[in-house]
Amino acid sequence: MSGGGCSVRAIWILTPNDTVAFSRRFAVVEKRWRAAWEAEEGDGEGDRRGTGAAPLLLPADHEVAAAFAERWRREGTARGSGIRTNVSSVGLDSWVDDPITRHIISLRLDKEEGDGFMLWPVVLQKRGGYYVLVLPLVDPQPFRAYENLLKRSDCGSSAKENGNLSSILFNLPCITGAFMVAHVVGDIITGDIAEPEVIVSSGPSVGGLLDSLTGSIGISARAKPIAAPVAAPTASLSSPVGAAQSDSLKGGVRPFDKDLLRNFIIGAMPFGTPQDLNYANVTSIRTTGFSGDPLPTDQKQPAWKPYLYKGRQRIIFTSLETINAALYDRDDVPDFLSVSGQVTCRAELEGLPDVSLPLTGLKTAHVEVSSFHHCVQASEPTANKQTLVFQPPLGNFVLMHYQAPCNIAPPVKGFYQLSMVSENEGAFLFKLTLMEGYKSPFIMDFCMITMPFPRRRVASYDGNPSIGTVSMTEHSIEWRIVSSGRGLSGRSIEATFPGTVKFLPRTVQRINSSFRSVSSIGYTEDSDSEQDNAKNGASLDDYIMEKINKDLHAVDLEEPLSWQVYNYAKVSFKITGGTLSGLTIDPKSVNVYPSVKAPAEYSMQTSSGDYILWNTLGKCPTAALPREL
Amino acid sequence: MAPPPAPGPRCLLAAPPRPPLHLKPLLLSLVDDHLLPPSPSSSPPSSPPSLSFPLDHPRRDHLLVTVVSAFASALSAPVSRDHEAPHLAALVDALLAAANRPNHAPDRAARALACDALRALDAALPGLLAEALGHLYALAAAERSPAAQSYLLLLASAARHAVRLGRLASGASILAVLTPAAAMEMMAILAEVASAVLQWAPAIAAHIKVQFGGMVHSSSPMLLHSLLTLFVQFPDAFGAEDERTMAHRLALAAREVHRPLAVRLLALHWLLGSVRFRNLVPGLARWFYPAVFDPLALKAKKLDCLASVAAGVDGEKVAAADRASDQATGLLDDGLVCVSAFRWLLAWSTETGVAFRALHSVLVGAAPHSTDGTRCSGAGELLNSTFFHHLQAILVDMASEHQGLVPVIADFTNRLLACNSHRWAGERLLRTLDECLLPRLEPGYQLASYYPIFEKIAQNETVPQHRLIELLTKQMVSLTKKHGPDTELKSWSQGSKVVGICRVMLKHHHSSHIFLPLSHLLVLTIESFPDLEVRDHARICLRMLSCVPGKKLRHIMGVGEQPSGVTPSHSGSLYDIPSPRAAQDLKSMPDLASYIHLERVVPLIVKQSWALTLPNFSVQNRPSGSILSIQDVSSAPSEQENPTGPTIERIGYRQETLRVMDSKGAATLQILRRYFTCVPDYLHSSGFKIRIQCTFRFDSEPFNDAWGLDLPVSGSDGADELPALYAVTITFSSSAHFGKIPSCHIPFILGEPPGSGMDIVPIDNQNREESSYCASVMIELEPQEPSPGLIDVSVEANTENCQVLSGSLKPITVGIEDMFLKASVPPDTPREGVAMYYQDLFHALWEACDSSTNTGRETFPLSGGKGSAAINGTRSVKLLEVTPKVLIGAVERYLASFVVSVSGGSLVTILRGNGVIKNVMWEENVPDASVDADALVPYSPDNNLQLQLVDDDEIGVGAERYGHESKRDMGIMRVMIFLPPGYHLLFLMEVGRASTLVRIRTDHWPCLAYVDEYLEALIS
Repeated sequence: MSGGGCSVRAIWILTPNDTVAFSRRFAVVEKRWRAAWEAEEGDGEGDRRGTGAAPLLLPADHEVAAAFAERWRREGTARGSGIRTNVSSVGLDSWVDDPITRHIISLRLDKEEGDGFMLWPVVLQKRGGYYVLVLPLVDPQPFRAYENLLKRSDCGSSAKENGNLSSILFNLPCITGAFMVAHVVGDIITGDIAEPEVIVSSGPSVGGLLDSLTGSIGISARAKPIAAPVAAPTASLSSPVGAAQSDSLKGGVRPFDKDLLRNFIIGAMPFGTPQDLNYANVTSIRTTGFSGDPLPTDQKQPAWKPYLYKGRQRIIFTSLETINAALYDRDDVPDFLSVSGQVTCRAELEGLPDVSLPLTGLKTAHVEVSSFHHCVQASEPTANKQTLVFQPPLGNFVLMHYQAPCNIAPPVKGFYQLSMVSENEGAFLFKLTLMEGYKSPFIMDFCMITMPFPRRRVASYDGNPSIGTVSMTEHSIEWRIVSSGRGLSGRSIEATFPGTVKFLPRTVQRINSSFRSVSSIGYTEDSDSEQDNAKNGASLDDYIMEKINKDLHAVDLEEPLSWQVYNYAKVSFKITGGTLSGLTIDPKSVNVYPSVKAPAEYSMQTSSGDYILWNTLGKCPTAALPREL
Repeated sequence: MAPPPAPGPRCLLAAPPRPPLHLKPLLLSLVDDHLLPPSPSSSPPSSPPSLSFPLDHPRRDHLLVTVVSAFASALSAPVSRDHEAPHLAALVDALLAAANRPNHAPDRAARALACDALRALDAALPGLLAEALGHLYALAAAERSPAAQSYLLLLASAARHAVRLGRLASGASILAVLTPAAAMEMMAILAEVASAVLQWAPAIAAHIKVQFGGMVHSSSPMLLHSLLTLFVQFPDAFGAEDERTMAHRLALAAREVHRPLAVRLLALHWLLGSVRFRNLVPGLARWFYPAVFDPLALKAKKLDCLASVAAGVDGEKVAAADRASDQATGLLDDGLVCVSAFRWLLAWSTETGVAFRALHSVLVGAAPHSTDGTRCSGAGELLNSTFFHHLQAILVDMASEHQGLVPVIADFTNRLLACNSHRWAGERLLRTLDECLLPRLEPGYQLASYYPIFEKIAQNETVPQHRLIELLTKQMVSLTKKHGPDTELKSWSQGSKVVGICRVMLKHHHSSHIFLPLSHLLVLTIESFPDLEVRDHARICLRMLSCVPGKKLRHIMGVGEQPSGVTPSHSGSLYDIPSPRAAQDLKSMPDLASYIHLERVVPLIVKQSWALTLPNFSVQNRPSGSILSIQDVSSAPSEQENPTGPTIERIGYRQETLRVMDSKGAATLQILRRYFTCVPDYLHSSGFKIRIQCTFRFDSEPFNDAWGLDLPVSGSDGADELPALYAVTITFSSSAHFGKIPSCHIPFILGEPPGSGMDIVPIDNQNREESSYCASVMIELEPQEPSPGLIDVSVEANTENCQVLSGSLKPITVGIEDMFLKASVPPDTPREGVAMYYQDLFHALWEACDSSTNTGRETFPLSGGKGSAAINGTRSVKLLEVTPKVLIGAVERYLASFVVSVSGGSLVTILRGNGVIKNVMWEENVPDASVDADALVPYSPDNNLQLQLVDDDEIGVGAERYGHESKRDMGIMRVMIFLPPGYHLLFLMEVGRASTLVRIRTDHWPCLAYVDEYLEALIS
């Protein structure tokens, strides 16, 4: 019944305190759900006949909140869900043993009278402290298939078996749609509704008609500020610092505008079936309407471009790249560098013109993967060239994403060594080269090194860097090599920083008790077996490491690794004036049809993502590189 | 299929009434949310007020949505819109009217909403818009504003329902104007329409590819997924090349860091979720290599893909099998690198979870569960593959190098063992651990980390245990050696765990397989382990090992122990709290004696049903109460004599002593003195013990009926179904003077299988079964008086379900014959002189028991020197009217060991020839009738025994009367019986052709009461 489309039965937004902050149900979809179940039961295939209409009713808000809280209690956070452990039991999502069950969950509702029932698939997204739950419409068959997965008594399914989770998900595009819904709802909750960034190098931005109409569509001059240098590249969980912040934020979540959200839902999915999930478009239509907007004379105006631009014409492209790097400075471990980039575009063009943009140097840049905005019709890539033809939407949009290796030398290279002299004192040494091989117009706007010690408190440090300034926070030492405002351009510099760091003696850490109790419940350490290890001649580092790691808790599956067990230095920088992948756009080759006089602007910027210098003297995480088969 | 003529839209907006409406969005939302559940019988809303809204009203949209929702959810198809639901018709017409102004600029949003509303109504009431299809087509074709999307969707949706209802319409349009979400919906609709018309228009498949193929490069996951569904629905539209592109695209989508994690995971799922793409997975291996900064969830999923590749590579069994295996193992190794921290992180780290999940995934990938759940495919090949060996090697290395991982490995094994399809893998793994890991381990405190694995090995029946037991033995030795004042706790903790593993072994293995080494280990522990508690536990284990057989043992070990991995809720029978029934009144239970039996092995000759009891017979010579108080006979008050009953004074034990002067008397005295020094003094030390061998058994069926046992152990083996008793204690008491009778203990006994009692069983088989169905019990008496009596038996035992059984059984009868012992021989008597000694003793006692002699006045010191005995004889005779053959048979059978001499030619010849009686004095000639014919007392039940005894004269007369009646010419047998604690019974049997005269003398006259009956029974 649900076919290949996506319809949403209900949306709930829950607070961390297990109350429902917002909920929306769609009666039309619900009717289809009931019809599907009744048809199923009418066929006589329903083995659920005895339980009556229980699964047919959507639960009340408080029941959902209670079920969600109950699930949290059962599944835990870090290891409890997504992976089957020795505390998993039949009927839990973690029994299915797949990480996606952290995002597609089941909720068990236990009614007081009689047996409970299950809600599935509930797409879960955690945003800004809130939990966004979206329940799409599925047919009874996949529902039952998942139920069987929860109940199977064997050791876990493989991809080759019938009815595995992958094939269920494959046949349910509605889950994918629900993800998108949850994502945009999350964006609205967190206020993360700005459009992609487009950098304008010169000139004031001229507000067109659109700007006066909508006001909320981001324009180039009001591009969102560049991420603060210390913070992680995104507000994601990928850095320990960020994780700590999000934890502290958990206590009080920022309230969100429910009217805004309600309005958006009426516009985007009035009857539960999403039609347009572009926040800017939906809200502009709802708030401003189309009073004086002309229609194109001979073409259909796309739904994703509800307004036509009027004013001075130009087209702006920006290449934004993020470099992730793991630098080891070891013979046995190769460094890992990878660039993820996007080309954002803002086309201030009147009418509905087609823009063609030839991409060159794909092969040279070893661009591994690229994906395009849905307005783009990409030609088949030939040897080194691919042409994109698109009818640009209004406002800023991401034209394409790509992944590529870093095709020039890493902008910051060298090594970081930290050796513990005693339990509370360590000696470290940096030896770095910045911007070696980078010629003008590359400019390094700023560069900072952070040595995080999330599990120790820094008492003091000693030592002077060859360049830059050093500061200290409770859990880290920060070394500013290049400060903003005094960009580094056209030359390379060497920077060294030998020094020592002293920590406050370790006190018994107050462990996040709820967390620990879930994660470590399966394995009670045998105190007997531990005591001899220190005497076995292990090095001091190992000994300290072992001691520290004892009260470590398991990281979430969303983390790439247990950051806290490693010593590393994180490099943050921003480089403008070029791309590290080497993939660039030639603004002169941009063609607009029908032809208009519109200047094309282009700018490039690279910032650091996870750019890590692993302690050369300590343990470090690695990954194998693919071998040729 | 020409579109039907469009009905002219009727305009209902002409004369709108204006109800005052100040509805707030909250109210609308409330209405929206509470449209559920619509009761099927409710009538639709009475009027569509929204239609009268001014176009510029701020809440018009919301209200429209609400009203349409209400209609859609309240009505049920099929609806004839003109007759049954006039309001619906009005609403539809109004909406159509609103939509019917294509390219009218300012209200395009309202028109779009009207289209959406129509579509929602159409979805709820399929076929509603079928008539308007052509009109919708015209509208959709004309519309150029962004609202065109809504028109197209409406058209497609209406067309879909037309298709579903059998009325076809065409519906292909331009995707370019749709948002991704709308495109998804559109594609779903179009796909259905297209597949419906596919057989008439095959070209549509190609058209689908042209229309949608370009979406493969879209960054929108919704478009990607929609495209995937098209791949499945139109297999002919896309070629192998397209499939490869798509698969490649999906593999790469998982590498795109800008995508949300869930989408990256989904992309991999899609790849694995369809057979079409799954086959292409192996070629994509290099794209599945996890990167350092991939979130762990993604690493886990990528490892799944690698595992799938590895399993595929190994499964292919191509010519270059070695290379394939190398590839597979290489992939596994490479994959694990990304979570390599699991080797040194703590066991609960997420990396560890991911790593072991990958190992499992590889294994299950190579040998998936079969659909019928019995046996998984590929098991045999996998077991022998390099790949599986490699996996095992990894685990063994991990276990030996990283002790922290041992519990995880144990869990991993457990997971396989718990799975019906992969139990074999778990077992093989345990065997490998046993073979490869155990030899690498050294005893010491750090060995404790491995106990979780040891436990798994001990639990598994298929793994030989000798290595483990050997290692544990070494460990116990090592612990004992290292024990010191500061390691007490450690010794206790580790020792307990070792014994715990032994317990587990007991529970899971046939005791015969592990008996020898395990008992060695336990004995070692009992003997030398420093901790008392551990020794105790070991003792208990050893006792169970040696006493309780096989499966019953394993069952009993399971009681009260929670098997790992099983939640308590599932283990009903294991958690039987001893039910209150145990304490329940036992009176309501059927009599225990009816199905629990304690029986004599050798039945009594005399089927005696009475016993002469002489209360307080010898009480005056004892410290008051010293024995009586021990004989606590409260349990059988019915048989208890009144303690204040009449006292019969003991005739013996005269205090004065008289000397006997004549030489014959002196010789007699000499012999008696020597003899009595060998007789133990029962008053001052322990006397002679009488042993009565009995068997203990119980019947299964009545037992089960009585105790309602439903045995949890199941199996074809008969022994499993039989009930068992544990820790049986049998206590005895008696009102007769048998002293304190020690109780007996039987650790374990099985019930007798029903019907087996009557079966004819081979003898050797019987012996074997004796141990499990039948226990032998030895009752030890220390009689203070040689008299028959009854022994009351009470029993206490535990049943399998922890109930306590107690009650009394049928009493055991003790006959006079049980008291028959051989007289003791002084230790300095040479072996060959025993017969002579006995003869002399016989004559001496014979003399002494003659009431006419004076020895009765003599006292003889007993062994130990404290007490002494005196002889006060009594005489009697008994005529046995049987043939010598019968008599000889009886004597040889029952009294052979008590015969001291045989005289008389023919008798000697016969007895010697029979060879039963040995080591006695053989006299060919009968001594001339020196036998006194003076003690012939014919016994008759009518006579008063005591009177006869007292009246000497009458005895003499009687003897005279019988003395000459028959020839007793065959010979004489002399029989001497010792009666504990210090009495004697002497028979002088004059065997004749027709009858035998038995002359009886004794120094314990009450025994004559039983002797007569005994002799009667002997020959009957």
